[in-house]
Amino acid sequence: MQLVKSRTKWLAGAGGLPVGLLLAGCADETKPLNTFNPQGPRAELIDNLIQPIFLIAAVIGVAVVGGAIVLTIKNRVKPDDFDPDDFPAQTHGNPTLEWGWTAAPAVLLAGISVFTVFAIWDLEETNAPGGGIAGGGELDVMVIGQQWWWEYRYDVDGDGFFEDVNGNGVLNTTDEWDPADAEWPLEIALDDDDVSVANEMVIPAGEQIDLSITSRDVIHSFWIPRLNGKRDAVPGRVHSWNFVADTPGEYTGWCTEYCGLSHARMRMNVIALERDEFNRWLANQSRVADIPSEDTEAAAGRQIFQQQCASCHIIWEEGIGQDALYGRDFEAALTAKAAPNLTHFATRSVMAGAIYSTFVGLDANTNDLQPGNRNDRYLDEYLELPSFIPEENDQLGELRWNRPQLKRWIKNAPSQKDMAPEDLRGMPAFPGLTDSELDQLIAYLATLD
Amino acid sequence: MAIVEQEPLALPAGEPSRSARPLGVFSRPRNTTGLKNWLTSVDHKKIGIMYGVASLFFLLWGGVPALLIRLQLARPNQGLLSGDAYNQIFTMHGTVMVFLVVMPMGAAFANYLLPLQIGARDVAFPRINAFSFWVFLAGGIMLNTSWFLGGGPDGGWFNYAPNNGIAYSPGIGIDFWNVALMIAGFGSLTGAVNLITTVLNMRAPGMTWMRLPVFTWMTLVTQFLLLFAIPVLTVAQLLLLFDRRFDGNFFNVAQGADPLLWQHLFWIFGHPEVYLMILPAFGIVSEVIPAFARKPIFGYPFMVFSGIAIGFMGWGVWAHHMFVSGIGPLSVTAFAVATMFIAVPTGVKVLNWMATLWGGKLILNTAMLFSIGLVTQFTLGGLSGVSHAIAPADTQQTDTYYIVAHFHYVLFGGALFGFYSGLYFWWPKAFGYKLNEKIGKWNFWTMVLGFNLTFGPMHILGLQGMPRRMQTYDTSQGFNTWNMWATIGSFILAFATLSILYNALVSYLGWRRAGRPNPGPDPWDARSLEWSIQSPTPEHNFDVTPTVTSLDDWWYHKYQEDENGVLRRVASSKELAQPGNGEGVHLPAPSYWPIIVAFSLPIIGYGLIFSLWLCIPGVFLLLAAMYGWSLEPADDLDQDHHSEPEPELAQTHG
Repeated sequence: MQLVKSRTKWLAGAGGLPVGLLLAGCADETKPLNTFNPQGPRAELIDNLIQPIFLIAAVIGVAVVGGAIVLTIKNRVKPDDFDPDDFPAQTHGNPTLEWGWTAAPAVLLAGISVFTVFAIWDLEETNAPGGGIAGGGELDVMVIGQQWWWEYRYDVDGDGFFEDVNGNGVLNTTDEWDPADAEWPLEIALDDDDVSVANEMVIPAGEQIDLSITSRDVIHSFWIPRLNGKRDAVPGRVHSWNFVADTPGEYTGWCTEYCGLSHARMRMNVIALERDEFNRWLANQSRVADIPSEDTEAAAGRQIFQQQCASCHIIWEEGIGQDALYGRDFEAALTAKAAPNLTHFATRSVMAGAIYSTFVGLDANTNDLQPGNRNDRYLDEYLELPSFIPEENDQLGELRWNRPQLKRWIKNAPSQKDMAPEDLRGMPAFPGLTDSELDQLIAYLATLD
Repeated sequence: MAIVEQEPLALPAGEPSRSARPLGVFSRPRNTTGLKNWLTSVDHKKIGIMYGVASLFFLLWGGVPALLIRLQLARPNQGLLSGDAYNQIFTMHGTVMVFLVVMPMGAAFANYLLPLQIGARDVAFPRINAFSFWVFLAGGIMLNTSWFLGGGPDGGWFNYAPNNGIAYSPGIGIDFWNVALMIAGFGSLTGAVNLITTVLNMRAPGMTWMRLPVFTWMTLVTQFLLLFAIPVLTVAQLLLLFDRRFDGNFFNVAQGADPLLWQHLFWIFGHPEVYLMILPAFGIVSEVIPAFARKPIFGYPFMVFSGIAIGFMGWGVWAHHMFVSGIGPLSVTAFAVATMFIAVPTGVKVLNWMATLWGGKLILNTAMLFSIGLVTQFTLGGLSGVSHAIAPADTQQTDTYYIVAHFHYVLFGGALFGFYSGLYFWWPKAFGYKLNEKIGKWNFWTMVLGFNLTFGPMHILGLQGMPRRMQTYDTSQGFNTWNMWATIGSFILAFATLSILYNALVSYLGWRRAGRPNPGPDPWDARSLEWSIQSPTPEHNFDVTPTVTSLDDWWYHKYQEDENGVLRRVASSKELAQPGNGEGVHLPAPSYWPIIVAFSLPIIGYGLIFSLWLCIPGVFLLLAAMYGWSLEPADDLDQDHHSEPEPELAQTHG
């Protein structure tokens, strides 16, 4: 009997262990995608809803599993003690008891469902167009998923439109607009006064960002776990969504709807800045790119870009009308023809579907590049980044332009990330580019601040 | 239109024999043993065993991709599998496990046990039963030939549009998925019709609805789910076939399609599918626990009606797979609440099983351990399932490893543990020897360890934000440790899963060495009708159709219970069991046609994928086989189970 008791206690402890591990594991704030680490009101609302429910579930789980184990141990008959004619009392059931344990969980679930339904409608109201802050947030961003990166279009002039230059595929955030009016797949183009960035969304902290989420090809899902739950990007539909990042910082996310070949390499980055820093960032993004002075390495790189890259990538320059840039044949655009706008490539901290850092820290001891471990000072000096783009910078501990990775990427992107350029899905390799041509190209890209 | 059979399968009452063989295009096969008999048999027991063998094979076959997935994810940034290979492998793992393992495993138990539990000689349509199996196998084989004919499907088992379209999946893998599963689906559909008819029409005298064993009830609910769910999938697949093969526009966004159509169709099939995978296991556990607690199932009516309730409610929860798809708050609310309340009947089952354990005298053999394993592990999966019903929280959880953990807890910790329990329980009934208990306990405990080590950490990984269907991850995401544990667990689990085959071999050899002792008709002192006949089950099942007077009829032939619930033995199993003398019992004869009809379908399927010309011989063979099927002599008096020469036969029957 003593044995049974101590063993029961041990088992109860063993039952609690996984639950404890689970909660401990989840509370670990070093996990950048942790769903239990809300950094904005939407994610907080979800977290506040689910935490007590997890607790209730854990209690029930321990009670049921523990109960079953205790019953098993208590009631077992050892093979040696087995007597074929010794039977337990033959109970057939107890309707009162059974109605009781039908009703009890039903009542409990009814209670939980009340909170759930309120949360659903709270989130719906805040996430709807013009929801949340009265009249909607300060900033409208169109989020467009495609194989295998994210485009973000900012409605800078605030006219509510993310329209293309031909007037086709007009997308706006007003209620009257019907996605069925748009032409699919969406052409890559935007309202004259707006900006388009790739992979990294920069937002003002503490303000509501209104998102209109859609897709140019297959279904993707936009998810920044610390700011809000996920929302699918469905071609032919535009989903309203929004979030607030309470404090400046970097928030990462992954595409969470299976979207084919490189689904694992379609990630996203959100950088939240103070409002004045954000304004400076936005003003910079609204500029056209500088044309490098003649006879420089960068000027040579620009020529290579126009020959090799410009059929898919756009760099917006003074004196080149947008129509000229956008006038190409995007009819066949499955996906790859809609490649990231590189006008301000050098200001982005991530590239290639946010799988590589554009800048890396140098390890002070080994002098090795450390991709994926961005320098802590990165955020503080975000706006100063162009000054970190060195021709040759040998200082240890500095942020460095991730030239080796960039070179590998341009030379043979499909070897760095699974893509199908032969089906117009993803970036092709450029085996013909020589090393010096790559250097020139990178020198040009480095001017795109 | 009713077809009047000129030559009924069974002879009409009062007509003991016929002197002449009916004529037809071909006579039926005559073998009662050997390969040819297995290929042409219409015996529900042989078909059940073949379902079991095929699903165990596919369990190993589908387990290999699972191990490859775990190896690839063991450490960050591994290159063992390319993105393309990884996508094919996780797609095939899911597809094989759902369609070729869990579903046919349920069919194996249903086929073998259902006629025995209701006191019938066979199923209602024996040839269609054989067709169901062969067409499932044909579809399963065809699906897996994709590996050798241009690459496996890479769209995931859910195969969402428009990623499943020709533009985004230009290979032929998706076509294989599409066509082969359509073919296998015919088997589920005909099987469902067959078993429903069997239960409705062929119950022994006195076997009223509220005397049906719980396993039979759960299987019946399962068949109704199949009957209505499979056609929805087939419709979706047919639309996709038109899109991919004939430039249809059902899922073409550029032509105004809404890709959510696929999601709705798929999950209207897909969620009932989830319940039809678990209900047979619930039925098994409801047989095993009373047998080894040595008391009746607690609250039989609640067990039955909760199963029926699950069957009905299973149709109203599909959109909980779509909480982030943009279906609108009203739909989200409705499906969230519906999903929450489907936990109620499931919870009733768990508590009733526990109440059956309460006050029992438990024999903890392997079958019982696996059943208790289901009760505990399924409960954990059920609880994480309730957390998905919290729709706002689901926007964080969905498409993460938390979901992977959840459905492996219900499908592996639930369904497969139940099936293993059933294998250990009914093995002596099917094969005439018990499985080794010592190896069985190793099997169970390593399985519990491996299972929890593999899928337990996935809860944590998911809540830490690890998305599903990810070929790889970085160190910076902090997923390293638990992934490594999960991989270690998966190899323990693979070892545990295999050990039942080792057990079968060792037990068989030991039994043969010991001179093939018979375990007796009722080795577990169990409750339902299948234990009232000899082991292994005689080919003719019952010598005499039993007459049923109560729930657990066989038990109450052995024991008398007074009003205080005290039992008194009145007779032993050996005295009561039918001796296994099949004289005078007439059985359906084997047939060539089911397997020929079944294997004509993949020919048409390959034609749809590679060249429509190939459809012509396929259709020709199909029509010829159907012609042969319909003109086959309805019965051949040479072919009863004795296979005795004709003249004597007429006399013995007299």
